[in-house]
Amino acid sequence: MKNFVSYLRDPMRIKWMLTLASLKMFFRQREAILWTVLFPLLVVVLFGFVRFNGMGRISLGVVNEGGAAGADLLTRIKNVRTFEVSEGTRESEMSELRKGERDLVLVIPAGYVPAAATEMTAFGDLEAKPQVTQLGGLVLQRVFDESAFAGAPGLRRTTLSTIPFKSRNLTYMDFLLPGVLSMSIMQAGIFGVAFGFVSLKKRGILRRLWVTPIRPSDFIIAQVAMRLLVILFQMTIMVGVGVLFLNLHFIGNLALIYLLGMLGAVVFLGFGFSLAGISKSEDQVAPLANIITLPMLALSGIFFSRSNLPGFVGAMTSVLPLTYLADGLRSVAIDGATLAQVTPQILGLGLWGVVSCALAVRLFQWE
Amino acid sequence: MTETPDVVLEVKELVKRYGEITAVDGVSFSVRAREIFGILGPNGAGKTTTLECIETLRPVDAGTILLGGLNVRAQAQEVKRIIGVQLQSSSFFDKLSLAELLLLFGEMYGRSVDPLALLDEVELRDKSRSQVVQLSGGQKQRFSIAAALVNDPVVIFLDEPTTGLDPQARRHLWGVIKRIRSEGKTIVITTHYMDEAEELCDRVAVMDAGRIIALAPPQEMIDALVARGFRKERVERLASLEDVFLSLTGHTIRDE
Ligand SMILES: Nc1ncnc2c1ncn2[C@@H]1O[C@H](COP(=O)(O)OP(=O)(O)OP(=O)(O)O)[C@@H](O)[C@H]1O
Ligand SMILES: [Mg+2]
Repeated sequence: MKNFVSYLRDPMRIKWMLTLASLKMFFRQREAILWTVLFPLLVVVLFGFVRFNGMGRISLGVVNEGGAAGADLLTRIKNVRTFEVSEGTRESEMSELRKGERDLVLVIPAGYVPAAATEMTAFGDLEAKPQVTQLGGLVLQRVFDESAFAGAPGLRRTTLSTIPFKSRNLTYMDFLLPGVLSMSIMQAGIFGVAFGFVSLKKRGILRRLWVTPIRPSDFIIAQVAMRLLVILFQMTIMVGVGVLFLNLHFIGNLALIYLLGMLGAVVFLGFGFSLAGISKSEDQVAPLANIITLPMLALSGIFFSRSNLPGFVGAMTSVLPLTYLADGLRSVAIDGATLAQVTPQILGLGLWGVVSCALAVRLFQWE
Repeated sequence: MTETPDVVLEVKELVKRYGEITAVDGVSFSVRAREIFGILGPNGAGKTTTLECIETLRPVDAGTILLGGLNVRAQAQEVKRIIGVQLQSSSFFDKLSLAELLLLFGEMYGRSVDPLALLDEVELRDKSRSQVVQLSGGQKQRFSIAAALVNDPVVIFLDEPTTGLDPQARRHLWGVIKRIRSEGKTIVITTHYMDEAEELCDRVAVMDAGRIIALAPPQEMIDALVARGFRKERVERLASLEDVFLSLTGHTIRDE
């Protein structure tokens, strides 16, 4: 009876002990480290690398203030395969340059005459993209020369000077990492819990626990706490490695990143427990978990922007939990969005959290 | 310490059904303090189901179970504190050492246990840093007995603890079980080995098809059978194959 009293006095202790033991078990599995940290990082590096090399063309922004003569020059520039040309106002193009969406921005000044000697300016981040800016400058110079020859062979050369411009130079990696982070949170929540729990169930480990006085809720709380701590760890490593080694342009509020991550984790843990509830063996878990996760991996804008999806698919997939998580993480991480700006995502995740946890409570079974 | 009543476990008219099957069909028996009580019976007789009802793992359809003065159906939580259980088929967490597992199980009862002392009870001290997956079958059984002892229980339930063990390991476990009893515990054990029941148990209940068909000390049952005129067809041999095996391989336990 003495022990019973001490148990009542300290009901937190067993939850903490179980959490600690689960963490120990988790980190002693070598595969666990591999899947939670190394694999997502590998995906980021690999995808980032592949995309970079595929990207041969130079993104050139043109600000035409030079009227018809400028438009003529613009047409010539557009014929150059090396360039992917976008046209805009000085303001919008410079803002794109700042984000890293343009490699180079050329300004065609008012009163531009092809055969007359003119100073032209282009802006580019010489520090971050030395080759691309220099190559772009050379190609532009050639276009000017050709256009000067075509007009009159008097040959007064238009010269181009590239003005260094500090851009944030966002890369595909910046887009990718928050997405892959969301993906890992989803996988840890759904696959980790569902497989882990079904195996505990099947091997009779849970039955052995139920002849001790611990309450099922103690065990569930410890499991959830353990998963959340692991996900926190995973987020910290991924953001850390991203900033330190992958040159990630992280400007977001870290607390907001963690808040979104934890919300997402709760949503997917709920689904994980639901699956664990209705499955009797790992064989039953795998297809169900894939049915839930694969469409989201494809449609939630993890690897590629959702802006290319056809209208109704885009609308439908905008409410997926992984979309909310990835969008939220991405806009905080790279655009520095504030709490107010990611409120839609937080509400979306909150709603999904209610749904998935209610489902887990309905479906969960111990045997 | 209050005075221990003589009967620690009393099962009355226990009934347990699984859908159509009546696995336990009106079973009654009582177990005295410090007794080793055996439950024998063919596969599917209902032994495990009976134990699991007593252990609070299964809801009961009818009957009462009193354990240490507690009503198992109404006071499950309190009952769990005073029983130690080895399940017929269960395992332990991977990736924790034996010592860590015992500490964790102790925590579940709000106790801080001495894992090495518990492992000494079952002679596994030198395996304290191993994981359960690294143990042999006999060592696993002994470990699960150690885990059943963490809360210093009044009654210990062992469901086929020696199934699958070699003769030496079985004898070794018998020694462990007898020593635990000598420390004042009551033990309820199931087995398919008659020699084991004869050697260990003070009384045995024989179950078949969910009912108890005999309940007495082993020697009394044998005497009664002989008194009814039963004679073995073959005259008692001077040695059995088991004796041969034991004399060939030695009586000491093989635990490497
Ligand atoms: N979870 C269950 N669901 C349905 N039927 C069950 C369940 N567990 C046991 N049974 C049935 O109940 C009966 C008694 O089973 P039990 O496990 O108690 O037998 P046992 O005496 O322990 O057998 P063994 O010697 O093989 O361990 C059997 O007919 C079995 O098929
Ligand atoms: Mg059995």
